[in-house]
Amino acid sequence: MQRLLYSLRMALQAPSRNPRTAVVVGRLLAAAFLVCFGTGLYSHFIQDPLPGMQFLTRPVWLYQLTQGLHITAGIACFPLIFAKLYAVFPELFQTPPIKGFVNLLERASIALFVAASLMEITIGLLNTFQAYRFFAFPFRQTHFSLSFVIIGSLAIHIAVKLPIITRYWSKPPLGQENDAFDADGQPKPLDEPTPDAARFPLPDIGIGVTSRVFAWIDRAPQPKSPHTSRRGFFATIGVAVAAVVGLTVGQSFRPLDFANVLAPRKAGVGPNALPVNRTASAAKVLDSAMSPNWTLTVVSGNKTRDFSRAQLKTMPQYTVDLPIACVEGWSQQASWKGPRLRDLMDSVNADPGATVRATSLEEGSIYAVTEMGAEFARDELTLVALEVDGKTLDIDHGYPARMIAPARPGVLQTKWLTKIEAI
Amino acid sequence: MTVVRRWQIGLLLLGLALLAVGGVVLLQEVSPKRYLGILLWFAGALIIHDGIIAPLVFLASVVMRKTAARVPAVVIAIVQGALVIGGIITLIVLPEIVKKSLGTLSSSILPQDYALHLGVFWVVLIVLAGLAVAFYLAMFARRQKLRPSADQA
Repeated sequence: MQRLLYSLRMALQAPSRNPRTAVVVGRLLAAAFLVCFGTGLYSHFIQDPLPGMQFLTRPVWLYQLTQGLHITAGIACFPLIFAKLYAVFPELFQTPPIKGFVNLLERASIALFVAASLMEITIGLLNTFQAYRFFAFPFRQTHFSLSFVIIGSLAIHIAVKLPIITRYWSKPPLGQENDAFDADGQPKPLDEPTPDAARFPLPDIGIGVTSRVFAWIDRAPQPKSPHTSRRGFFATIGVAVAAVVGLTVGQSFRPLDFANVLAPRKAGVGPNALPVNRTASAAKVLDSAMSPNWTLTVVSGNKTRDFSRAQLKTMPQYTVDLPIACVEGWSQQASWKGPRLRDLMDSVNADPGATVRATSLEEGSIYAVTEMGAEFARDELTLVALEVDGKTLDIDHGYPARMIAPARPGVLQTKWLTKIEAI
Repeated sequence: MTVVRRWQIGLLLLGLALLAVGGVVLLQEVSPKRYLGILLWFAGALIIHDGIIAPLVFLASVVMRKTAARVPAVVIAIVQGALVIGGIITLIVLPEIVKKSLGTLSSSILPQDYALHLGVFWVVLIVLAGLAVAFYLAMFARRQKLRPSADQA
């Protein structure tokens, strides 16, 4: 068994599989993970703030940027994580498989790290097109808790590998040698395989099937050109990252819309030429939203006022350009028109410092009721929108009236409003 | 204690603390009857990685080694790179094709023809890789004429 593992490992030796490439790819992957973690926490807490939390309302594209980065960096993680796994692939066949208790813990933490990371980016990708039927657990809570598991495992992994990371972090100037690189800039191998090599001298043509197979593999010459192999490796990663990002990022970054042929959303596709996540039919508001008796109820304490759509239109109207930016990463700029939320709240003498709770006609969704802090509720750009891009709101975009505020996730831009109250 | 050792201990403690946070959040926010689904995905990730992708990559590595003697390294690098890039794009687009065929709740979710776009992507990839190989071989042949002893690298 040990001989088999060792032979597998030797057969997998390749110039691009060395500690230096593991460090270089690892840095990029760690950076992508940290971008995802940071932007993910921001998105989590803007939806579920801890008591006392306040958020920036400018720049208006802040959430569009953070969530676009979250999804795009997450997609870039696919080629990066495959590259990282490829670079350290021979380690899978360590001999002996477990060298002691600490080594067991280390390998277990790597298994947890790899499994959690692959699962996290996969369910994240599936969530961007609502493919929930592929997994039997709640997306948001699982994605959130796994993110801590991953960043925790990452910290442990860096702690364990720190001597290797610091050794191979940077190359000496060309022509100079140190203990990690030769004068040619080639990384020197870690001294590790030697003890095994002494125990299993190769070539070793035995009579067993495995010996013959490995002898056959080893008769092939060692790769002649480590430079080509390594350059090919990094060129492949570079092109793969450019391809997955370039062909999808147009869903959150309009200038690259022309290249968006693989993203789950396309700018301009949908009612009012805007994508829709939750349709009126899915939210079961087709009747209630079209009712001629619809009113928007505005409440503060014991003061209540009802506004019909016509009455909302007689209030001072404002036009603001704000992006609708979804947690699923897509976003699109639009021009919204309607009364300011703060004018409505002032009409019932609401406390300017109050949090505002918005209730939708929508049924069966935890997002039917949302809350926004005073920093958003008092903002001059926050509207109860009646029109988008010069047309009446489509029912899928929240007719008769919806919330639109700067730098907020789309899921909190409550559609089909029925009540807003100061709390 | 060296600086590296201090960082190691600090990172280890930070990592353990974050793992604990992840565990607590999972226990608090996800109902126990969903744990099985999460475990299945964990096991699935390890099986797909260690049981399917790892042997395939191993086979590919062996094939690469056996062909390395006859084919210039640059050609191998281009072909291998193109296959990897196409494979990754396919992995990402395949779930979209499946989900689109199952139907979505909104017509603006998955509005594109992903199967067609994936096919076009592969065609473009193969053409570009072919051009790169042809270009390299032409250059290589010219160099060989000028300097018959030139290395294949």
